[in-house]
Amino acid sequence: MGIQTSDKPLLERVKESEQDKFMQASVAKSQDAQHIKREDSRALLGNWEQWRELGEQIRQRALKYLPDYLEQFSDNVEKNGGDVFFAATEEEAVDYIQKVVKETGAKRIVKSKSMVTTEIDLDKRLLAMNQGLQLMETDLAEFILQEDDWAEPTHIVFPALSKNRDQVREIFMKLGYEGDNDPMHLARFARKYLREYFLKSDLGITGCNFAVADNGMINLVTNEGNADLTMAIPKTQIVVMGMERIVPTMNDAEILDNMLCRSAVGQKLTSYVTFEKGQVAGETDGPEHFHVVIVDNNRSRALGSEFQSILQCIRCGACMNVCPVYRHIGGHGYGSIYPGPLGAVLSPILGGYQAFQELPYASSLCGACTEVCPVKIPLHKLLIEHRRIITDQRHMQHGLNNLMMEAIGIGTGFPWLFRTAVRFGHLGLKPLASKGEVHAENFIKPEGSVKGGPGLVGGWADVRDLPLPPKNKDSFRQWFAKHKENQPKPGDQKANQ
Amino acid sequence: MTIYNREAFLDHLSERLGTPRHQVDKEPFIHRNQLPEETLADLSSDELLDLAKSTSEALHVTFQVTDQTALPAVLDEYLKRIGAGQLILPTEPDQVADYNLQGWIDTVAKERTVKYWDPKADRDTNLTTSQDSMVAIGFGDYLLAESGTITVPTTPGQGRAFNFLPTHYLSIVKRSHILPRSTQVTKIYDDKIKSGELVTSNINYISGPSNSGDIEMVLIVGVHGPLDMTYVVVNDR
Repeated sequence: MGIQTSDKPLLERVKESEQDKFMQASVAKSQDAQHIKREDSRALLGNWEQWRELGEQIRQRALKYLPDYLEQFSDNVEKNGGDVFFAATEEEAVDYIQKVVKETGAKRIVKSKSMVTTEIDLDKRLLAMNQGLQLMETDLAEFILQEDDWAEPTHIVFPALSKNRDQVREIFMKLGYEGDNDPMHLARFARKYLREYFLKSDLGITGCNFAVADNGMINLVTNEGNADLTMAIPKTQIVVMGMERIVPTMNDAEILDNMLCRSAVGQKLTSYVTFEKGQVAGETDGPEHFHVVIVDNNRSRALGSEFQSILQCIRCGACMNVCPVYRHIGGHGYGSIYPGPLGAVLSPILGGYQAFQELPYASSLCGACTEVCPVKIPLHKLLIEHRRIITDQRHMQHGLNNLMMEAIGIGTGFPWLFRTAVRFGHLGLKPLASKGEVHAENFIKPEGSVKGGPGLVGGWADVRDLPLPPKNKDSFRQWFAKHKENQPKPGDQKANQ
Repeated sequence: MTIYNREAFLDHLSERLGTPRHQVDKEPFIHRNQLPEETLADLSSDELLDLAKSTSEALHVTFQVTDQTALPAVLDEYLKRIGAGQLILPTEPDQVADYNLQGWIDTVAKERTVKYWDPKADRDTNLTTSQDSMVAIGFGDYLLAESGTITVPTTPGQGRAFNFLPTHYLSIVKRSHILPRSTQVTKIYDDKIKSGELVTSNINYISGPSNSGDIEMVLIVGVHGPLDMTYVVVNDR
């Protein structure tokens, strides 16, 4: 899939998302439910602001000394008997993983949920190796999406939020399911189906919530148990991690786990929190061959820049769970595997402005994302920073818009020109205006609204109401002038009575 | 055991950051506050037990407290509730002796198939035995009051899949091993790993049965891991 899930323009994606009423209802339900659970769990913990400060401190420390901690981590993985591959690009990461798959002769791969493997389009690139390889996503939501012809995820914590139970049933029926649409029955079918697959798997691929620098272990936080089976059953494990996942110690990871679980799903801890490395002497399961692939893939563009703090992210999804824009357009509207405010900041860094120049504008800048972030990333300020760069440095606003802005500048710079524009505004825009059916709106917009138009006017009128300016005789200026004429003047007889 | 492409990769990061490498030891890392250690640290033993019970039950865990002498009866009752099917036990002679369970195991073995996670067996044998087991009874290392979590480091006698493949799961844990939070237990493991006292590839923090909200946000208890969990806390002081 890669980071970009669609090459359609933002407005087209938004229109498509607006048609998906089930998705909109699901996102709203999810946001509301998560809000209650998240706030309850934080209140129960107490001192949340101080916890946020601690979380921020740990993440900032990890980034400040990122090369040192990655060096320490890789030394420890090697001491523990594992291999570490530093991948500057997604191609390097995929090439290395393909090489391991070839060398081990793996035929059946199991995967647990991992954003970074989606980012580097790993699944399809492995299957394209064409050596009779089978690959299975084992997280329930990812399994549903895979079996639905690799459908787009819509949320980083609940990727299949846009699928209803009937759709899931239809997808599972292709695999032999014969039951009803009860989510419990559907999940039991997936359990049985995937269990058989797990037991024959020979290579497991996982992500990594945090990598512990001072002992070389990785830390995974899950609820279903599939990640632990992925780490237990196959003889080979490949961990794929974004380079910023590093933390100094186990206790730092544990502190962030507590914040992640509360922020993502309102739990104190998820069902499974695991610290692991390759098999040690005497053990009979777990990976005999342990590989860690540390991926840059343009993350380093943020280092040392005004965007460094986005690398503090712990992928809890809280920012999208409070975002009014995400609530309206869902994950698909963003066209990136990283949606919501996180995605609007991160996607242009990883994928470039060419592909994601519109995303920083998919925000009301209300700041709710910044308020809710457990590690204090100033998300809305980073969005403004993207906008500044796009506008000032890359000169993206040009052509007709520049001309229109210039015209507006001239028009508002000369009072006589401004008065003329106001006088003829009604007449000039009337061809673009229309009135809807008889509706309460007509009382406040008796002349109807402007629909469409060139450049800026069209963009504005597409998503906001632009009432047709009143006729000159009904304008506020005319009314005020008449009103002023009728006011008693000082010295007037009536005024002195 | 190889590290690939490290130097160029890290040099690039250092350049981006605008700071030289190998500086981390010059600035000791001191946490801004001690909330992880201080939270719930003042609870008494009874309060810890009460909290552990309420949080565990909120996670759909069956939570029982018993004296050691009554432990076999509690386990019998549990197996009766689960019904027929193979039982898998860890190969942990010290723990079995600690809880005085050998007599009970001998008795149960006459009534149902009892198998072990066997350190001398191969991977496939242990995985198949776990998969074929209706129920696992294992030993938890610690119980965390705040989150209703049992912790289980992998050992040769109680492997990783032991905790995930059987359909039902019971964990026995000592009352003296109830800790306030994950902070305390992580510190213990960190220290033991660094001192060499604990040699393991894997530590599981398990909080109730597996679950998912992936289909319409409806909570499903029991997905890939055990369908249900029981904690038995044994009074040991």
